[in-house]
Amino acid sequence: MKVKLFATLKERAGAPEIVLQGAATTVAEVRQRIAEQYPHLAALAARSIVAVNHQFAFDADPVHPDDEIALFPPVSGG
Amino acid sequence: MSTAEPTVIEITAAPIDLNALQRAVTTPRDGAVVLFTGTVRGQTGDVETIQLEYEAYTEMALAKLRQIAEEMRARFPLIHGIALVQRVGAMEVGEPTVAVVVSASHRGDGAFEAARYGIDRLKQIVPIWKKEVRPDGSAWVEGDYMPAVGD
Repeated sequence: MKVKLFATLKERAGAPEIVLQGAATTVAEVRQRIAEQYPHLAALAARSIVAVNHQFAFDADPVHPDDEIALFPPVSGG
Repeated sequence: MSTAEPTVIEITAAPIDLNALQRAVTTPRDGAVVLFTGTVRGQTGDVETIQLEYEAYTEMALAKLRQIAEEMRARFPLIHGIALVQRVGAMEVGEPTVAVVVSASHRGDGAFEAARYGIDRLKQIVPIWKKEVRPDGSAWVEGDYMPAVGD
């Protein structure tokens, strides 16, 4: 399962995308996998936003293997 | 019916042409156009900014801009044209970074309020980030809005 990263998270990871090992069926599980497999991102990830298929997603929301998942900090456009 | 009104939604690396946006959203029924633009502020108190660099999650940003245009039409049903444009990449002090343009028949038809709503909402839910370049280094700017269900 791939997760797109933006802004601070992308810079910290050194890549625009990370790959998670093992299944995740909810947003909460995605967050847990990131914290386990990318500990250097864990602190940032904890205060970041998850989007699934271009919509904001919350801990109980389901994820599927072919979903587009993204993780990013609170936005600062304008 | 409202979907037939001019709606310009863009994430672009090119300079924002404010006059072109005004023309694009103005219909023959319009006598009022409100245009908000944000620019790169060079001085914030004692802090100097040299440049802002913007990054977008483009596909989602476009979806969220379209959603905001729908929210604006639902809240301000008398408005006609809408432009929501965010420029990305590096921008110098004084350059327009964003534009929200709303047209209506009369200035009292909600155009001011709709433009204000549009820029406020953009800063809440559109996945775009800016990095501030100062004389002593650069840093990502983080917002403070956490989306809720329905955003």
